[in-house]
Amino acid sequence: MFDVIFIGLSLGSILLLVALGLAITYGAMGVINMAHGEMVMVGAYTTVMGGLWLHIGFLASLPLAFVITGLLGWAIERIVVRRLYGRLLDTLLATWGVAILLQQAVRLEFGLSFFGIHIRGLGPGLQNVKVPAWMTGVVSIGGDQVNIYRLFIILVTAALTFVTWLLMFRSDIGIQVRAITRNPRMAAACGIDVQRINALTFAYGSGLAGVAGVMMSGFKTVFPDMGSAMVVDGFMVVVVGGVGSLLGSVLSAGLLGQVNGGVAAVTNDILARAVVFGLVILIIIIKPTGLFSFKGR
Amino acid sequence: MITQRRLDRAAYILFIALILLAPLVLGDFWVNRIAKFLVFGIVAVAVSLCWGYGGILNLGQGLFFGAGAYMLAMSLKLASATSMQQGSDHPVPDFMLWNADPGAPTELCCINRGSFLWLPFQWQWFGVVMGILLPVLLAGGLGLVVFRKRIAGVFVSVITLALVLLVRLVVIDAQPLTNGFNGLTDLGTFHVAGFGFDPYARATYYLVAGFLILTLVGSRLLVETRAGLILQAIRDDQNRARYLGFDVPIYQLFFFTVSAAISGLAGMLYVIVAEFASPTFMDLSFSITMVVWAALGGRASLLGACIGAILINVIAASISETATFVEAWKAIIGVVFVLVVLYLPRGLAGFAQDFGERLERRFADSGKTTTPGVIPQAQVPRGQAP
Repeated sequence: MFDVIFIGLSLGSILLLVALGLAITYGAMGVINMAHGEMVMVGAYTTVMGGLWLHIGFLASLPLAFVITGLLGWAIERIVVRRLYGRLLDTLLATWGVAILLQQAVRLEFGLSFFGIHIRGLGPGLQNVKVPAWMTGVVSIGGDQVNIYRLFIILVTAALTFVTWLLMFRSDIGIQVRAITRNPRMAAACGIDVQRINALTFAYGSGLAGVAGVMMSGFKTVFPDMGSAMVVDGFMVVVVGGVGSLLGSVLSAGLLGQVNGGVAAVTNDILARAVVFGLVILIIIIKPTGLFSFKGR
Repeated sequence: MITQRRLDRAAYILFIALILLAPLVLGDFWVNRIAKFLVFGIVAVAVSLCWGYGGILNLGQGLFFGAGAYMLAMSLKLASATSMQQGSDHPVPDFMLWNADPGAPTELCCINRGSFLWLPFQWQWFGVVMGILLPVLLAGGLGLVVFRKRIAGVFVSVITLALVLLVRLVVIDAQPLTNGFNGLTDLGTFHVAGFGFDPYARATYYLVAGFLILTLVGSRLLVETRAGLILQAIRDDQNRARYLGFDVPIYQLFFFTVSAAISGLAGMLYVIVAEFASPTFMDLSFSITMVVWAALGGRASLLGACIGAILINVIAASISETATFVEAWKAIIGVVFVLVVLYLPRGLAGFAQDFGERLERRFADSGKTTTPGVIPQAQVPRGQAP
């Protein structure tokens, strides 16, 4: 029983890790960032490249990935997303194009493979990341065997969620972000630099995806297409939780994770995912605004 | 406006003439290829109808395409020689035999749990009817709930997206019935009154072309009816249409279902041309690719969307002759797509429309003020609320 709940918790934390960045870009800014999964992918590749070229360890990749994907997100906001505020479905389409571009950039090694130049760690192949020895293996908690890496993911997710909460609800920038969420024009009229805050918010959301990517690379194979499935999962977590609600995302990630883990324990992984999709459809139909949505105006 | 209409009609006639004449200059291989792309053109019409005219962005169009494809593929699988290997006079799909429990009866009725579902597909026309009926029932059932609940915009997209992924997983999981990841291959040919439609034959090309023309012209006439105009009104402002007394969900449901039926038809034609059905039809990327075709061609123009689909695929196919550029092509599509969404939200058709308007202005009387062309509201930026 405990291990089923723990697996569910761990699945939920992975979902939340990906969804956290989306909860900010979609929830707070109204941008459906289909390239979010590719940010996760870039984060994972940062770990691979960091290990190969800079010889930095797994943990040191966390801040590096945050900075790199954050900058990338900032650039995407400046070049593409900025022109599309208020056109929700168009952001989805345009960022899908960005996503393909990022995938192909990694697969084609930024186009260098045409000239016969190959960069170690990039390209269409599969990559693996070594995690430090102390992160592998199991510890026993209350007589049950618990995978240390899963525990580590849960802790990192909890920490990131807490930091995000602090930023959003206990900092000056957070107040400005929330003001823009409610009404961008009114916020601008109150003297908030909407463009700057939006760019920062988008960069922060992307940075979170980068961190998620580092964590993913520790237990999944790294390859150029790895992000496309994740963005769907993360997106569903945000919609089910209620757009714009951080707490909603946390709880819905927990819910979907538990359902996934629970059903998988009884049947198999494929059916478990199908059940999760079914649950998502049901929740959206019954409560289209999500489980926890703030009252917009 | 009159010049615009004339140009419009000329474009339709030119396009129809082109696809009818194309096989005269093409070899067998390219006839088959173009036939596939014409199928994609039909899909793009369905997307444009639903999204461009109805404002319903269905990210699960692949569900209806896949449903149509699987229904016909099941019939053609049973008609295939590979299903008759046992020397019995009752066909059994080869993959069912491979995976059968030892000692299980090698009959379609009971070789595994659920295989009886295949029984009616021994009649090809059952598969054909189901290929339309299943998408219609799926879309009808989904639409009934979704539109009655006044779910709109991105939430419809998320629901359809989740549904197509759900069905894809179920199809993969039901391996004994559907051959899972591998899908249905080694299909027989489609027969009508004793005539077999060989995928590389001119006849098959004209079958597809005929249905494309039918769908294109039919959809065009449909959106010009009163119902079609109301649909566009709903797209532009759902609440206003509701206050004017229109039963909004009925119109949305109708066009959503028609779009699904067209996709189902396209799925069946694809099976005839490509000779397989697989869960890749229900991949997320395929459904989004359909939207990309329509967006590039012009979402609010049926013909534009159709041409967009065919054009992209023709270019992709010619480029993929040189293997190194296959991957680069995807990157180019990515860039082009971003640029189109940013700078050309009405797609290629918008381009053509502007050109038509300029012509019109030149021909118009200098005394009269010209009426500006109708700009579909869907592309005009909406309010700020997400």
